[in-house]
Amino acid sequence: MSQILLIEPDRLLAETYKKALSTAGHKVSVASGSQEAINLADKISPDLIILEIQLVGHSGIEFLYEFRSYPEWQNIPVIIHTSVPYAELANGWPILSGYLNTMEYRYKPNTTLESLISSVNDLALSA
Amino acid sequence: MDSTEANQNKASSYLLMINLAEQLKLPFMQIQRQAELIRLTGKQDISSIETSADYALKLIDNYLLGLKLNQDKMALEQEPVSVAAVLYDSGQLLDRLAKKYGVKLELNISGKYEPVMAHKQGLESALVSLGTSLIEAAGVQNTPKCSLQLATHRCRYGIVAGVYSNNPGLTTDLLRQGRKLIGSARQPLVNLTYSAGAGIFVADSILKAMSLSLKASRHHRLYGIGAVMRGNQQLQLV
Repeated sequence: MSQILLIEPDRLLAETYKKALSTAGHKVSVASGSQEAINLADKISPDLIILEIQLVGHSGIEFLYEFRSYPEWQNIPVIIHTSVPYAELANGWPILSGYLNTMEYRYKPNTTLESLISSVNDLALSA
Repeated sequence: MDSTEANQNKASSYLLMINLAEQLKLPFMQIQRQAELIRLTGKQDISSIETSADYALKLIDNYLLGLKLNQDKMALEQEPVSVAAVLYDSGQLLDRLAKKYGVKLELNISGKYEPVMAHKQGLESALVSLGTSLIEAAGVQNTPKCSLQLATHRCRYGIVAGVYSNNPGLTTDLLRQGRKLIGSARQPLVNLTYSAGAGIFVADSILKAMSLSLKASRHHRLYGIGAVMRGNQQLQLV
């Protein structure tokens, strides 16, 4: 079982992902914004983060910059699970995967719950 | 309508369509994932699917109404409308979505106001569209006190009907920025909502057809967005 921090601003989607990941045996905490996510990460020490980039105010990328600035959080796996297509992120991907140490990109409309759970299981095992 | 105005309308309608398409991804993703969850877990609660589908259909309907009213001003049959009654009906239509998002929806229609001349369906659709976006945005606040008010009050320009919350980000600047960024940014209202905020722009388009516009407004200590209409004293006498 892994402790997952799900950063998802839409309440209905967050509930669905939380139920699915919980059914798969993970413990899930949900944050809807970047500041809440930092506070929650401090509290729960997540094993893995699932991150939407489109948040209110500060974006998911700004969250990542702050998150990775703490030494203890530099190697926690992050899955970017977003409605922003890869083509729009492509220029930024070298930074996201390099400096910001993001493990995986998933386009939300095309990612089934099963494939998300499978990614989470793989990363949780390798972490 | 001259050709310049027609071209401007076409361009703004195209930008609104892009914004709407982006917005519609959200309820369809909700439906897709909820259906998958039912398949995986065998639990048969489809109420969330119904709410998401209802939300998507309302948004499309309201968008089409805005298009129709903007293209054919003759379709604008104005009638004496009670703002309080329209707010009440809008509240009924928004209730289910608000519950799903954990937002408490309140109605504040106290006070006596004269009727306004408006297209009743247009006004109701604008308020419902506005409400859906603000419910979605309020759901993010994730606090037990998360509430919205459908309210009306008198201001120096007339009677305002709008949706209010304790979010101080609902300002004239937010609307101005959003209108500039519609169609070119994924989140034209980034300080308000994580989505495309299409409900607000659809409301804007419907109200524009009715020669009204959305304005940031205050109601008691709350912040909100609403439509300003001129009351008609003569109608009150009738």
